[in-house]
Amino acid sequence: MKNKKSSWGWFWQSVTGILLILLVGLHMIAHHFVAEGGIRDFQQVIAYLSNPIIILTELAFLISVTVHAMLGMRSILFDLGLSPQWERVVTYGVVVIGGLTVLYGFWLTYAILAQGSAPTAFLFR
Amino acid sequence: MSLQVTLKILRSRPHQEQRYDTFDVTVPDAANVLDAIEQAWAHHDRDLMFRHACHHASCGTCAVRINGREKLPCIAPVKDYDGGEIKIEPLRNFPIVGDLVVDVAPFFQNQEASDFIITRPTENELDGKAIAHTQGLDPESAPTVPFNRFENCVECGICLSACPTMSADYKFFGPAGLAAIKRQLDKTTDANEREKLLHLADDEHGVWRCHSAWECTEACPQSVFPAESIMALRKEINAQRFKKFFRL
Amino acid sequence: MNLYRPELKRFRFLRWFDFRSWRLGMLAYILNRVTAIGLVVYLYLHLAVLFLLAQGPSGWDPFIQIARTPWFLMLDVILLAGLLIHGLNGLRVALTGFGYGVRSQKPLFIALMIFAAIVLAVGVFKMFMG
Ligand code: SF4
Repeated sequence: MKNKKSSWGWFWQSVTGILLILLVGLHMIAHHFVAEGGIRDFQQVIAYLSNPIIILTELAFLISVTVHAMLGMRSILFDLGLSPQWERVVTYGVVVIGGLTVLYGFWLTYAILAQGSAPTAFLFR
Repeated sequence: MSLQVTLKILRSRPHQEQRYDTFDVTVPDAANVLDAIEQAWAHHDRDLMFRHACHHASCGTCAVRINGREKLPCIAPVKDYDGGEIKIEPLRNFPIVGDLVVDVAPFFQNQEASDFIITRPTENELDGKAIAHTQGLDPESAPTVPFNRFENCVECGICLSACPTMSADYKFFGPAGLAAIKRQLDKTTDANEREKLLHLADDEHGVWRCHSAWECTEACPQSVFPAESIMALRKEINAQRFKKFFRL
Repeated sequence: MNLYRPELKRFRFLRWFDFRSWRLGMLAYILNRVTAIGLVVYLYLHLAVLFLLAQGPSGWDPFIQIARTPWFLMLDVILLAGLLIHGLNGLRVALTGFGYGVRSQKPLFIALMIFAAIVLAVGVFKMFMG
């Protein structure tokens, strides 16, 4: 038998998926149903982010949504029956794009907090 | 009584344009689609390529698509397609040899990979009730777990033709092959053998490539439930993972 | 064009769109894929728009004036629908893959989609009336 690795993609796709049902639910409720006017203005965003627990939840959301999206795109591309070389390109590709996305998200959070001189900005120092 | 039907058959040969040919045939009321195809061959075009053997759904040789759906034409009554044409095309996701005949070699290679030897064990029960054993057979030693009836598989390839994942990813192991692995897994308690089988299934293009469209189970003419086998394999592998994960 | 000619192997991906069978499982599969691609596109649009937040109130507050218009809310309705379909259908895929509800995946799918429709209706009501 060929010497091949087992595959964890589906497993993490499900785990992040189930997590996301909770986190997306929270995110949608917090940003669109609780917020007055359906969306927060800048001061409200800062006030909202002054709670470290909220920040951690948002970051957890960022990470799981990125992992889920990258695994999903990889899976869609793998459906094409790619050659092993292209499969490797896709795998590294989604790792790089996913990594950049998460980095951008972290930077964004920091930049927003710094802009509003929110008390939680220290979390990123 | 007899029926008039029009068959519209997809014709293909290497290096030739594909085309649909229509044949008007007359068949008895109780005829199946395979009988109609045979009529077309017998009376209209001796060049028509199709394949069959048993005529009663136990060999799985004749599988084609009838009006877009995968079927065994030997058990598909012409009456079900009352009025209008009956469109007949070869199975999808296999190389075409000619007309309705496809090359099933890749399919059998995957079936073989599970080491499954197709012999049916003695039936010990019928519809859940134990049946009388012939002399010399110890009822105690009979298997008690109701197996998923993989033995029903006639290797017709219909599930592979119906599967949307198979259509794009030629590397996908395929529903019937995965069902064979599951069946083999049920049969053995040998740890090495189980490990080997799960390893075969646990692959990017194995059990995880399935997108849960359940088409194989829907199309299978023999109640093999390949999709359910795929889910059972996933469960098994996932359960192992959880154990591994929390023991760390 | 017959997509199943061997020489068309390079165009294999077109066969994804060969949805001959509109049975329930296939429908679920198509919906999941379409919403998946839509949601990824949305995710990146969303992250790009959030860049405005990093520019302080002068960047963000003009944007939310647009975002509060009914036209924009319509986009939110599409988003919510996509999330519900993808999330709940995904739940079915995950559950069956862990061995739950395997024999009742069809009723499970129908029940989840009815639930999605209810949540969507409530959501839309809250968005426009709330
Ligand atoms: S599992 Fe069913 S559809 Fe697939 S080859 Fe066997 S009998 Fe045919």
